[in-house]
Amino acid sequence: MKQEDVRILVVDDVNSMRVQIKDMLRKAGFKNVHSVSTTQEAKRQLEIEKFDLVMSDWRIEPTDGLDLLKYIRIHPEQNKLTFIMVTAEDAKDLVIQAIKAGVDDYVVKPVSPVQIQAKVIEVLTKKGLI
Amino acid sequence: MAGSIEEFVDELGGFAETAERTLSAIEKDQDGAKGMFSVFSDRMFAIKGTARQLGLPHVARIAELAEEIAVKGTHAGTRAVVRKCTGCLWDALTTIKVLLVNRDKETTEEQEILVNRMKKTLDALGGGRERVSTDDIAALLKNR
Repeated sequence: MKQEDVRILVVDDVNSMRVQIKDMLRKAGFKNVHSVSTTQEAKRQLEIEKFDLVMSDWRIEPTDGLDLLKYIRIHPEQNKLTFIMVTAEDAKDLVIQAIKAGVDDYVVKPVSPVQIQAKVIEVLTKKGLI
Repeated sequence: MAGSIEEFVDELGGFAETAERTLSAIEKDQDGAKGMFSVFSDRMFAIKGTARQLGLPHVARIAELAEEIAVKGTHAGTRAVVRKCTGCLWDALTTIKVLLVNRDKETTEEQEILVNRMKKTLDALGGGRERVSTDDIAALLKNR
């Protein structure tokens, strides 16, 4: 798959974060980026559209990023979906919870355009998607 | 950067307003509204993450300490602890609001005093949660 064809869903309740992450991804060559502000919208979006990667914050409404990750991992059709947590949450016990729940990578804010590009390419390459 | 910095900072100001309403509610009902510390903590978390991303480290540092103190407030066993938390969080919130308006100014001595006071308060309440670095996370992911 070409980088520009990778479909990415960004989930963050903070508008400025959504705008910045989308902007960084687009500048990095990922043209197919969609964003939502709640886990509910994310779940709905995942039912109607196929994505290759979800990049989610931890603390979002009405549940949280960990709940979204667990939802995806037990979903019969989406359980292999690549998931990167992009968050300011760096408490050790919570990072471990995300890893146990099957997160593919975990990025602590602030994120730079170079870092985000490198992480996404690394994870997608590892999964054989690009 | 898409979007203007003013627009993003306005959003942070909105989070601070929510936090202020929450803190007022806790003060009015120190027993019943204690659970609302989690709302305050969530807003501070949002401010911390966004401020880090926007390159406002002074705001992020105070928000992080406020987040941790609010987490402690959620588990406060006595009114004295609730009052200790709210007193410190009011100062933090006021400073964050001032810093958002005057974000280009240098760190002042008052801010340093506040940060030290917050650290002492947090230590007195048992300390913050254990944090991990990017390298720690990489190691945890590798050894899963």
